[in-house]
Amino acid sequence: MRYIIILLYLFLLPALVLGQQAQKQGYFNPDISVIADTFYQSDNSKDGMANILSNVSGFNHPLNAEFGPDNGFNMNELEIFISANVDAYFKGWAIPVLEPDGAEMEEAVIQTTGLPYGLQLKAGKFFSDFGRVNPQHLHAWDFSDLPLIYRLTLGVEAEGLNDNGLQVSWLAPTDYYILTGLEMLQGNNELMFNYVGEDPLPEKAGPRLFIGWVKFAPNLSNPQHALQLGISGASGIHQEILDNDADGTDDQWLSGINQFWGLDFVYKYDSLKSYGQGKWVVQGEYLNFHRNLEVEQDTLTPLSVGKNRKDTQDGFYLQATYGFLPRWRLGLRYDQVGLINQMELPSGLIESPDASNRITAMTDWSLTEFSRIRFQFSQGNYELAGRDEKVSQVFLNMVISLGAHGAHKF
Amino acid sequence: MKRLMLVIMLVMSTIGLEWIEDKELNVCFADASQSLRVLTTTSDLKSITEEIGGKYVQVTSICAGNQDPHFAEAKPSIIVNARKADLLVVIGLELEVGYEPLIIEGARNAKIKPGADGYLDVSDGVLLRELPTGKVDRSMGDVHPFGNPHYWLDPYNARIMSQNISNRLQKIDPTRSADYQANYQAFIKKIDEAMFGAEATAKIGGDKLWEQEISGKLDEFIKGQEVQLGGWIEKARPLRGLKIVIFHRSWTYFTNRFGLSTTGEIEPKPGIPPGPGHLKDLIQKMKSENARIILMETFYDRKSSDFVANQTGASVAICALSVGGKAEVNDYISLIDHLINHLLKLGGK
Repeated sequence: MRYIIILLYLFLLPALVLGQQAQKQGYFNPDISVIADTFYQSDNSKDGMANILSNVSGFNHPLNAEFGPDNGFNMNELEIFISANVDAYFKGWAIPVLEPDGAEMEEAVIQTTGLPYGLQLKAGKFFSDFGRVNPQHLHAWDFSDLPLIYRLTLGVEAEGLNDNGLQVSWLAPTDYYILTGLEMLQGNNELMFNYVGEDPLPEKAGPRLFIGWVKFAPNLSNPQHALQLGISGASGIHQEILDNDADGTDDQWLSGINQFWGLDFVYKYDSLKSYGQGKWVVQGEYLNFHRNLEVEQDTLTPLSVGKNRKDTQDGFYLQATYGFLPRWRLGLRYDQVGLINQMELPSGLIESPDASNRITAMTDWSLTEFSRIRFQFSQGNYELAGRDEKVSQVFLNMVISLGAHGAHKF
Repeated sequence: MKRLMLVIMLVMSTIGLEWIEDKELNVCFADASQSLRVLTTTSDLKSITEEIGGKYVQVTSICAGNQDPHFAEAKPSIIVNARKADLLVVIGLELEVGYEPLIIEGARNAKIKPGADGYLDVSDGVLLRELPTGKVDRSMGDVHPFGNPHYWLDPYNARIMSQNISNRLQKIDPTRSADYQANYQAFIKKIDEAMFGAEATAKIGGDKLWEQEISGKLDEFIKGQEVQLGGWIEKARPLRGLKIVIFHRSWTYFTNRFGLSTTGEIEPKPGIPPGPGHLKDLIQKMKSENARIILMETFYDRKSSDFVANQTGASVAICALSVGGKAEVNDYISLIDHLINHLLKLGGK
C-alpha cells in the first residue's frame, strides 16, 4: 500500500506542478545576482607575494607561485549567482565565475528541500562545509584575503575545498543546535587532495575524499549573544609529482593519504542597533594536517622508492570585527602557521622549520547592503627557505552586488 | 551507476515517507495536551498570536521589540526553534527578506515552508500604503516593491492581522477552533474599544465604525448618532495636522491613521544615511513649516536627529516601533497608547 502511495505521489505531483507552471510563467524566472570583487594591492616584498607564499617553510608548494596579486589594480572575480527552486523537492543554484584567466563553475548544486527528520542532501559541485571560512564565498569574507593557514594548505584564493560530490547533513531534533554532515567528494584540490592517476602513480576510482563535520551551538540565555562551535575532519588520496632538483623535469612521484582536521568557533554580539553598529564578531580556527605519502618512483634517488614522506603541520587564526559606527567596521586578525611544522623526508631526515605569522587590520564601509569598500593593512613575518622576510601589504578592496542575492548564513 | 540509482531511490522513498508522516502529524494536533509551537518574526506578531492562541500556543519571536526588523540574523538558536515550529508567522512584503529564507532553509521543517499551512504571511488583506508605481530600483534606497511593510502600526491592520492568524490557527488546529474564534472576537473588540471608546463600539459596532473611518467620513457619521467617540481617535485629536519629521518610513501607517502630517524624513531615501545637504534642506523646511517633533525608532543612530533638533529647537521622540520596544509597551494596545501619549506630551495643541 505504502509503495502505491509513493508511486502515485511521484507521478501525480510533478503533473500538478507543471500545470501551475503554465499559468504563471513570469514568476518562474530564477533569482540572478552579480557580484564584482576588485582590489588594489601593494606590498614591499622583494619578489612579490606569490613568491613569498610559495616558499613559506613547510608549506612550500610550486602551485602557490602561480597565484598572487599584482602590485596595483586586480580583479578578483565576477560571480554570477543564479538560483531557483527546481520543483517541490529540490532547489538549485549555479555560480559561474569569471576570473581574469578564464571562467569556471564555482558551484552547481541541487539540494533537497523536503526531506524528513532534519535531513538534507546536496549534490553537484560545491564548497565543502569543512571549517568556517571554507564554505564562505570570497565576497563574504571579513578580510580581503584568506587566513594564512587556508591560503597555504587549501589555497589559491577562491578555491578551498570545492569539489564534485555528495553531501548529506542532519539537523538533530535537540533543544540546542547540532548540525552534522558527511561529504563524499571526488578529490580535486591541487594542494591537499590532488589526483594524477597516471603511471607510475596508482589509479584510484573516485570518490577519493571524505569529509565529516559537526556544528554545535549552545542556547545562551541572552539572545543578543550567539556562539557556534565546529569540528571538521577530512581524509583523502593525494598524489604529487615533484621536481626536486628544479631542472625542469619531474623526478619524484608520491602517492598516499592526506588528513586534515580543524576546530572553529564564532561568537557574535548583537547590539540590536541598525547597520551593524556595536556588533561584535569574534572568530577563530585551528587547522592541523598530516600527510603520509609513499614514493612510487624517484629518478634522482631510486633508493627512496617505497619509503614515506610524512608531514605534520598546523596553523590558526583569531579575528574580531566591531561595528564602531553604523555601516563601519574595524577588524583585527592574527595568523600563525607552522606551530607544529615537521617534515619527515623519505631519506629519514627530519626538518622542522620555524613558524610564520601575520597581523592584519582592516576597516570597511558598507554604504548599503550592496556595496562595500575595505582598506586593509597587514604585516607578516614569513619564514622562508633559509631566510625570513618581513612583508607589509595593503589592500583597497571594493565589492558590489547587483540583483537579488540571498542573505549569508550565520 | 548502481550506487547512484540507490541514492536516488533512497531520496525518493524518504520524500514519499514524509508525505505519509505529514498525514499522521495532522492527526497529532487533535491531542489536546499539546500546544502549538509558533515562531514569529516580530514581537508584535508574537503579542497578537498570544492573544488569539491563548494557552494553546507557545510563541517565540525572532526580533526583539527594540530591534530593527529589517535586519536579524538566522542564529542557530532560531533555527532550532524553527525546526520544531508548527507555524511561522511573518509580516511579509519583503520586510524579512534578509533572514526568513535562511531560517526556513536551515530549519528543514516542511511544515513551515511557504505554501504550507504552517507558513503565514499576515499581510494578506491589510491596507497598504506607499505602493511604488512605475519602475523600482536600488538607487531609490531600500524601497519595498510591494508597499511599505510597517503596516502593523495602523490598528485597522492589527484587526486584519489577527483575523489572518485566527483563521490559520483554526485551520491547523481545528479541534480548538471555537477557542481561537472567541479569542479573536475578544481581541478585535479590545482594539475597537481602544480605538473608538467602549460606548461607541457597543452602540454602533466596530465593523461599522471602521467602515466609516476608512472612508474618511467617521466624524460626519458620528454627528448624526447619539453617541460620543472615545478612545485613541478622540485622544489623538490634538495631534491632527501636527507636523512632524520621521527618521525612517516606519511611522507612515500611524501618522496617516491619526492625521499627523509628515514634513520630511531624516533619511533622504529609505535605508540611506543622511548627508549634510539633505539635513540642511530638512532644517530649512522644518523651520518654515514649524515642525517641532522628530519621531524616531529605538535602534537607529540618533546623531543626525540630535543635530537637526539642535538646529531647529525640535525635540526628538524615541518611541517603540514594536511591542517590547520600551519597558511600558507590553502588548499591542499599549504600543499605540505609548505613541499617542508620547506625542501628545511633546506636541499636543
